Amino acid sequence: MACARVPLDEQQVTESGPFGKECTLPALHPDRKEDHCFVPYKPPPEDGSPAEVEEFLEFARFIIEDLEWLLALPHDKFWCQVVFDESLQTCLDSYLRHAPRSLDLTALPSSPAVAEMQRSIHRMVFLTFLRMATHKESKENFLTPSVFGEIIYENFLFDIPKILDLCVLFGKGNSQLLHKMIDNIFTQQPSYYSDLGETVPTVLQVFDSILDKCGLQCEGATAIEPMKLNAHKQPTAMTMSQQDLLDIILYLSDSTSTIHAFMDIFPAACTTFHAHGFLGRLTSFYETAVPDLEKAVRKRNFGDKGLQDDLWKRLSHSCRKMVETAHLLLHHTCLQPILEGRENMHTFAEELLQHFTSFLPEKRFLSDYDEQFPISDDISLLQQAIPVIDETRTSYLLQGVESVWDSMGRQRSLNQTRPKASS
Amino acid sequence: MSPPRLTGALRSFSHVSKNEDFTEKPYDLKTKRLKRQELFAREGLTWQKIVHFCTEHQDKAKQQAASQELKSLLLAAKQIVGSEHGQEAIESAAVFLFETFHNKDHVGTEETRTIRQMFGPFPSTAADASCDCVVRLLAPLENSRVEDFIQTHSSHHNPQRGSTFGRNIAFSYDCYALDPLEDLHCSGINEDQVSLDL
Repeated sequence: MACARVPLDEQQVTESGPFGKECTLPALHPDRKEDHCFVPYKPPPEDGSPAEVEEFLEFARFIIEDLEWLLALPHDKFWCQVVFDESLQTCLDSYLRHAPRSLDLTALPSSPAVAEMQRSIHRMVFLTFLRMATHKESKENFLTPSVFGEIIYENFLFDIPKILDLCVLFGKGNSQLLHKMIDNIFTQQPSYYSDLGETVPTVLQVFDSILDKCGLQCEGATAIEPMKLNAHKQPTAMTMSQQDLLDIILYLSDSTSTIHAFMDIFPAACTTFHAHGFLGRLTSFYETAVPDLEKAVRKRNFGDKGLQDDLWKRLSHSCRKMVETAHLLLHHTCLQPILEGRENMHTFAEELLQHFTSFLPEKRFLSDYDEQFPISDDISLLQQAIPVIDETRTSYLLQGVESVWDSMGRQRSLNQTRPKASS
Repeated sequence: MSPPRLTGALRSFSHVSKNEDFTEKPYDLKTKRLKRQELFAREGLTWQKIVHFCTEHQDKAKQQAASQELKSLLLAAKQIVGSEHGQEAIESAAVFLFETFHNKDHVGTEETRTIRQMFGPFPSTAADASCDCVVRLLAPLENSRVEDFIQTHSSHHNPQRGSTFGRNIAFSYDCYALDPLEDLHCSGINEDQVSLDL
């Protein structure tokens, strides 16, 4: 056993080697890893044959048994296994990649035995990540925080895609624990903020690729690549194959749910997304893609009415998540600092008003946003926090919002009453 | 196959994840079983200890009967583990069967599952035979003595193991659900707007 009250990364242990000879090693050393052999996770078979179900159950039993073994290991042995056992990392990574999301088309396993096994793995995987995100388990069992940050980063125990997967898989019911985990990871290893910054352009590319697949030119494409007049033969949401449309809507639903879950659980990420101009790209994407996709889902002949309903729900769900994400971004980067009375309140207020003003040409987005999060409410908060705010500007903004509603020919829901903007 | 996912794109196109090593094959069930057999053979109960336990303090006739049962148990183990394996692997399999059946009188679903998890598909007659052998071997011995023996030597009894991490953590199985803004039937947005394709 390792010595007490010294961080694990500074401990030495004396153990008897294979020939009975004693040797002293750092407590965190590859030789102390057990040769355990974790198997990768495979998702439950969809309408699988009994043989496929049995194979899933066998893999699942091994994973549960092995993770139970891992979680029962003493602190020092646990970390040796986590850092030096590649098969354990493959197993955990395969779960994050392939575990069915509740929003997948076939999320529910058909057999109770499969469902029960899936639930057990789900819990064990979460607890394993929780232990991996904890640098201090007790007074005796801990790692030096900076060394912990180095270990998790250098060994890719956590990376941005894994953190996003954790949020979307476990965030609904375990948001507080997940917040603590992710907060600790980012606090002990600030390099994750740089990684997040590197990730945002790829997230934006996902939106661009959806636009591209729908035959909707994104800003970059029009600016850089000249197109022949007769070259516009790309399929649109109306003409692409049904499977492609299904894939696009599933992709959009997964992407928007994942981003929203992450920002909701770890609001500190909003600043990084905001710094990359995420809000502007999100709203213009919404404005361009949503009406086209909606039209395709509503007008195309699916044959299967259930599929059409399902696609509509997923698209509408994606809209909600995009609107909520925009609100989270504005709330955490502009409104919250104003409400907390931080320095430079006027700068934050100016930024908030600029964002609202930039929404005005994005009529569809603006009306959906305003329906969920009335802009007049935020303006009212702003006026209370900063009484000297330019009233002409706020009136212009609120009038603009009203005009958008009028031009869209939409009616607000009945429970939403709003003050008329003073002219 | 998993549906298209944001995190899949991030893994492929951003440079914040570990590069996948496609040459490294993940473990399959066969390799895993062999590894488990290896681990099982390394710790806990041994065949010699079982032989000693079943034959000590017995008169000659009972010792002879016990030896016969032990031989039969080894034979059944050989059928289960496969005849291509050496004596060491067969003895280890016999130990596993002894542990599995020490407090059972027939081969139930749970035992079948346990054996298959360790050795893969096996002839059920061999499992029945090994269960019968263990029942006959332990019949003359006191239950508490048998339990003590198993508890002391079993691989499950590992004094190095602490309490399981997270045992008291309240885990929620709640999952995100679809939360649409509106129903398809209630959506009248832009229904009458004509888009001019210029």
